[in-house]
Amino acid sequence: MLGTILAATTGDVTKAGKAIGLALGVGLGALGAGVGIGNIFGSMIQSVARQPELRGELQGIQWLGFALTEAVVFYGLLGSILAYVLV
Amino acid sequence: MKRLVLTLSTVALILPADAFARGVFDPTKEFEQSEWIPIHLGPLNLSVTEAVAYLMLGSVMTILFGLYFMRGRIGKQAGRRETLGEMVYEIAQTQVAEQGLPTKAIGRWFPYVATLMLFIFVVNLIGFIPLPLTGKTYHGVPTWGIYAATSSLSVTLALALLTFVFTHYEGIKWNGPVRYFKSWIPEAPKPLLGLIVPLEILGQFMRLISLSVRLFANMLAGHILILTFIGLIFILQNVFLALVVVPVGILFYLFEVLIVIGIQAFIFAALSAIYIGSAIEPEH
Repeated sequence: MLGTILAATTGDVTKAGKAIGLALGVGLGALGAGVGIGNIFGSMIQSVARQPELRGELQGIQWLGFALTEAVVFYGLLGSILAYVLV
Repeated sequence: MKRLVLTLSTVALILPADAFARGVFDPTKEFEQSEWIPIHLGPLNLSVTEAVAYLMLGSVMTILFGLYFMRGRIGKQAGRRETLGEMVYEIAQTQVAEQGLPTKAIGRWFPYVATLMLFIFVVNLIGFIPLPLTGKTYHGVPTWGIYAATSSLSVTLALALLTFVFTHYEGIKWNGPVRYFKSWIPEAPKPLLGLIVPLEILGQFMRLISLSVRLFANMLAGHILILTFIGLIFILQNVFLALVVVPVGILFYLFEVLIVIGIQAFIFAALSAIYIGSAIEPEH
């Protein structure tokens, strides 16, 4: 992958376009997931600050939400890699 | 002891012998499968590859883990071993099984979800320990490398298929086929049903994809990240990059080992429990 970014500097435009597409896909995916994960942990902090005794119960839900949100990046990554390899 | 292991694994990571041996280093090439023991049955390819070897190792280690931590004799005072075993068991029971499964099905499906959690955790963990199982040799000596069986889509898809099959089997068994498939159709005005029902059916199959791709992509991305950062030294052919690149690689390695692998194992088991539970009691 990185080798092709270097190859792009030598004038291989197709590869450069692919590399840009890959980076854009992953980057935009990470943007959305970043907002989502921040939201989850922010809400968790607020909930625990209000009702500390619920911490144990909330933690399971928190990690579940974290993993579900985080997976969005990887869908982006996978789609980008597929586009990179197949196109 | 802990420090020794950490240092050794760090050194093993700093020196990817593969890269020295080949000259040209491409991190994506690290995930290719090589057939060690070819077994071809007609169109079926059942060869023993890297992933199969890691899965076998993972199974053995999971059984040993369970035997050592949970089947050991409990003395008068619970030692560290018992405490750890109980902690894992408690997470599997309260956080995974009781969250998703209805009470009447816990006895039947707790072993499955707990095994899933332990197995995925152990396989993920083995994936981050450098082992001489890369299938390549450098002057006759097998080279060491990190590879996780769960970073192969076939493995995670097989695990997700298990959950998928069990979900519908249990749903039909507890509710009967008519009531179960009716429960897929949500309450909605008649004209919208033509739009919603295909989406619901698609959603059932999307579960299969999301469950398998989540684990697969997490592990693959983790390995690619570490390998790419270390590989920068060989791609740009500059030794001094190691000063920056190796600490970053170690950081990602620790992040993966301490946080990601545990969460992924937990999530896979918890979602399996939730899916099976929601099929047994579709009203909820």
